[in-house]
Amino acid sequence: MATTASISISSDITDNIPFSVNANMTMYQAGTTLDLEETTGLAQRTFSGTPSQVVLIDVSATAVTPAAGGHKVYIRNTGTDKTKGFKVFLADAADDVEEIGTLYGQDWMLMPWLATDANEDIMVLPSSSEKMTIEYAVFHQ
Amino acid sequence: MATTTATLNLSSDMLSSPISISASSILMKAGITEGLELIEMGRGTIAESDGSKTAEFGLPTALGVDKAAKLFLVNKATDPTYYIDIDLHDTNVGRLYAGDWMFIPWGMNDTASELVIEAEPSGATCPYEFVLLQEPQTLEGHS
Repeated sequence: MATTASISISSDITDNIPFSVNANMTMYQAGTTLDLEETTGLAQRTFSGTPSQVVLIDVSATAVTPAAGGHKVYIRNTGTDKTKGFKVFLADAADDVEEIGTLYGQDWMLMPWLATDANEDIMVLPSSSEKMTIEYAVFHQ
Repeated sequence: MATTTATLNLSSDMLSSPISISASSILMKAGITEGLELIEMGRGTIAESDGSKTAEFGLPTALGVDKAAKLFLVNKATDPTYYIDIDLHDTNVGRLYAGDWMFIPWGMNDTASELVIEAEPSGATCPYEFVLLQEPQTLEGHS
């Protein structure tokens, strides 16, 4: 039951310094070479109206083993408008808020997720009151 | 305009209907359609004995407010038990085990956006590589 991810980055920022990144990974359970075996599947949420910061992925509502170490989160802004973005946070709804960054139209992210407790819920804040859609998945143990 | 493209291909056969994700994005400055213009890249090594360290790349300051940045980081260790613990300021993001990589947007707004890394478990040494792609930060007058 393998889950694999590959990234390719190419750029012409510099004329004289060739630049490209290619990397692959197989998602394993923490500290092993055993495949991850569980996933939320691919999900989607659409937001509109007055923007507010909301929980996108709730640690307590996801069947992750807290702090197991092998979890991965994929998130993508499916819109095409580069002027609109979702700010992504690691945060408890009530207090501690750490901004990760902003996903503009078509931007995606893939990161490890410890998912210890509610302080590591993943929250998003759309930049516009217009309809904006995000897709996401958790691969976990 | 510089064009930087980041492409993901992800597949999983966990489900009876396999998951297949292909995503590609041209990386732009914040909220506009101009490409990122800075690349910072390199390689480092962190050992468990080093304790937790602020990552030496892309030190966030107020000059990065409302600027776009993307970070790629990979743990090049080969021992599957070795991992790099990633913190965003004082909140744990997760662990990059040997061979794992991450690609995130990074709001490099202030010191609360600092990325903190630590090798684990006891005795671990993790080589890593990083690429930071960003738009130019606000320029300061010289002293």
